[in-house]
Amino acid sequence: MAINSNPDPLSTTFAALADPTRRAILARLALGEADVSELMKPFKLTQPTISKHLKVLEGAGLVARGRASQRRPRMLIAAPLKDLDLWLEPYRRFWEGKFANLDKYLTHLQETKKTHSKEKTDGRRKR
Amino acid sequence: MAAENASTGLSVNESATITLPSDREIRLVRVFNAPRHLVFEAWTKPEHVKHWWDPSGRPLSTCEIDLRPGGTFRFVNSTPQGPGHAFTGTYREITPPGRLVFGSPAPGGADSLGILEFEERAGQTTLTLTMTAPSRKVRDAMLEMRIDAGTARTLDNLGEYLAKKSQSR
Repeated sequence: MAINSNPDPLSTTFAALADPTRRAILARLALGEADVSELMKPFKLTQPTISKHLKVLEGAGLVARGRASQRRPRMLIAAPLKDLDLWLEPYRRFWEGKFANLDKYLTHLQETKKTHSKEKTDGRRKR
Repeated sequence: MAAENASTGLSVNESATITLPSDREIRLVRVFNAPRHLVFEAWTKPEHVKHWWDPSGRPLSTCEIDLRPGGTFRFVNSTPQGPGHAFTGTYREITPPGRLVFGSPAPGGADSLGILEFEERAGQTTLTLTMTAPSRKVRDAMLEMRIDAGTARTLDNLGEYLAKKSQSR
């Protein structure tokens, strides 16, 4: 869709996402297109503030504006988010490898504890 | 799908979610089926860390924990050829069972900050790990370094192989 001539599109995507309001705007647009006045309401922000954020999002190719009607609704462009996801996936998987292991270990720990306390109440039958 | 991606920042389809809350941060969130005092212990006692840190399932070859502010830790993976990748750092803040803060060397020399937060609800613990790098450049380098994590072992092996070769000459 939008042709991005930026030499480092990922950095632009990062910069655009490094703001909670802009992430919230994207979340809203993911539900469907919306114009500036519709975006103003839930965020309780002024029109210039919303427009400023939209400009950043548009610059990063994350948001495009429709030309058909006068209200010029904004819509989400998901492609840069997908690229970012792909880039982060190995790091996430690196930690998830440890987390999955920890998860198993914690289960094992709790089961061992249960068995121990059961042995005590059973009058050390197993020993 | 796009809705979830946009609201959280990124991946939500698997167990751990990853987001970039700011230019210098990486945040991972994971839920564990255990009370938080136990999850906290699993992160702070060598007899526990030793058994889960390496995803290969091998116990660590070295696991040292000096659990006090200013104390250091050192987790060294083990490979069939000997010690592997080491994760080291210094504890900054220890508040069981809710919070653990450590500094760890990042690419470029300066420390990155790791904050572990443990929250319990209905017997489950949500762990939030936030890594803050000294700069965005370093943060990005940290993310990219992990892309090669899978090949780190291979490189270790290659290093040893080359060392042996040069000795036998």
